[in-house]
Amino acid sequence: MEKQDRLLRIFAERIRKVLEAAELDFESLQEIRLRAGRPLLILYGNREYLLLENGRLEEPGRGRLRENGTGSPVCAVRPEELKETLEYIGNHSLYAFEEEIRQGFITIQGGHRIGLAGKTVVDGGEVRTMKYISFLNVRLAHQVRGCADPVMPYLYEDGRVLQTLIVSPPRCGKTTLLRDMIRQISDGPKAGAGKRQAEAEGSGPSRPPRAVLPPRGVTVGIVDERSELAACYQGIPQNDVGFRTDVLDCCPKAKGMMMLIRTMAPDVIAVDEIGSREDLEAMEYVMNCGCRLLATVHGNSLADVEQKPVLREMVENQMFERYVILSGRQGAGTIEEIRGKGGELCG
Amino acid sequence: MWLRLIGCALVTVSCSALGFWKARQWKEHRKLLEDLRRLIYLLRGEILYARSPLGEALERAGSKSGGPAAVWFCQVAKRLEQQEGQPFSRIWQQELDKQAGAMLLSPREQQELKEFGEHLGYLDVEMQERTIALYLEQLDMTIGFYRDHEQERTRMCASLGIMGGLFLAVILC
Repeated sequence: MEKQDRLLRIFAERIRKVLEAAELDFESLQEIRLRAGRPLLILYGNREYLLLENGRLEEPGRGRLRENGTGSPVCAVRPEELKETLEYIGNHSLYAFEEEIRQGFITIQGGHRIGLAGKTVVDGGEVRTMKYISFLNVRLAHQVRGCADPVMPYLYEDGRVLQTLIVSPPRCGKTTLLRDMIRQISDGPKAGAGKRQAEAEGSGPSRPPRAVLPPRGVTVGIVDERSELAACYQGIPQNDVGFRTDVLDCCPKAKGMMMLIRTMAPDVIAVDEIGSREDLEAMEYVMNCGCRLLATVHGNSLADVEQKPVLREMVENQMFERYVILSGRQGAGTIEEIRGKGGELCG
Repeated sequence: MWLRLIGCALVTVSCSALGFWKARQWKEHRKLLEDLRRLIYLLRGEILYARSPLGEALERAGSKSGGPAAVWFCQVAKRLEQQEGQPFSRIWQQELDKQAGAMLLSPREQQELKEFGEHLGYLDVEMQERTIALYLEQLDMTIGFYRDHEQERTRMCASLGIMGGLFLAVILC
């Protein structure tokens, strides 16, 4: 409840009241979209709704009729309310989020990510800042404990963690899955997991033959460039990422991976949304240092990953030992397939 | 007769005490302004070096120091943390009004501080740096004025107190 109140406080007063009146179940709430002069839209239980002034939800087609005077009008976002919301999002200190604004998002307490769009100010080909921010997308972070349970037995071989890449389209739960994987690797296997695993190995032919779970957890280092994984607030993780986990918050991934290797001696390094050439070079370095790597990338399939110039090289060189492919087919976090380093199907 | 003498002595002593108190207040005022300047320097460090948001920066600066200005900083930070839905400048001004008495600020100094709060948090870090530098310049001038005139003012207040007391005593006698 407190987390819910904290989230609502980032909105301008009127919008906050309408959202309060809606009495939404925050576990099902995925996105709140604000556009200047446009109706407020929410993504709730995988469906899009318009929010009416009286706090009721309406599917988009019907909401427009009500705008013409039949019943409660839709809750349209005024430009000044958007400005006010932005002020609260940035804790009255947008200067502290310069880098984030440049990248087009701000992560707030609780790990919720606010996407921003407006007019960019470009200087020498680089985005210097963004002004007239008129579009906000509040994406709520949900911690789903245990969502990595079906994947965990595939992530180990002879008691060591495998180099793993999660491939997923946007909004299909890759960050949530990675977070739970980190937690489980850090805390160690649950009591009785070995027994269950042995049973599963007996009945499941596709299960990897030597996926022995380690006796205890290992040290994990997270480079949390966008504060989404651990959702650190004043340096303290707000999400459960395990008790053997060190977090380098708001640090560029490539630099962060090197820093962690040199300073924190992690057994496993986890990074979210890799993409740039620098990231991939740093990943190669990590893998060659004897560290295990957990990473996520956007894509629909392994074939998509092979289309990306540098990643293709890593796939061809079989640097990753497991690929977990996600989709939103049966809701966010649907595990489509788990593949081995040669692309063979494991599960 | 004795009663009159005692009355005159009391008038003289209390007027002198008033003079000394005024002289002390001048020094106290200068000291409070110096405390405020130290706090603003800490705030500048938090903003420019650590890129801390205002709430966090005010809280850290306030907790490192003492006095009414530090209390004011912490109060503003507390209200920002509560995210009441009010603009920063309003919170800054409301809390300043509560602490202005304890901080011995003159109306002009209060006005300068309020204007400083109106521009804090606006635009980028460079803007914060300039806003803070501008205010520090004003503050330095005010402190300089208080320091330059401290000796003559304290002497004058003390002398006026004593002389005024004696004058009243003579008139009363």
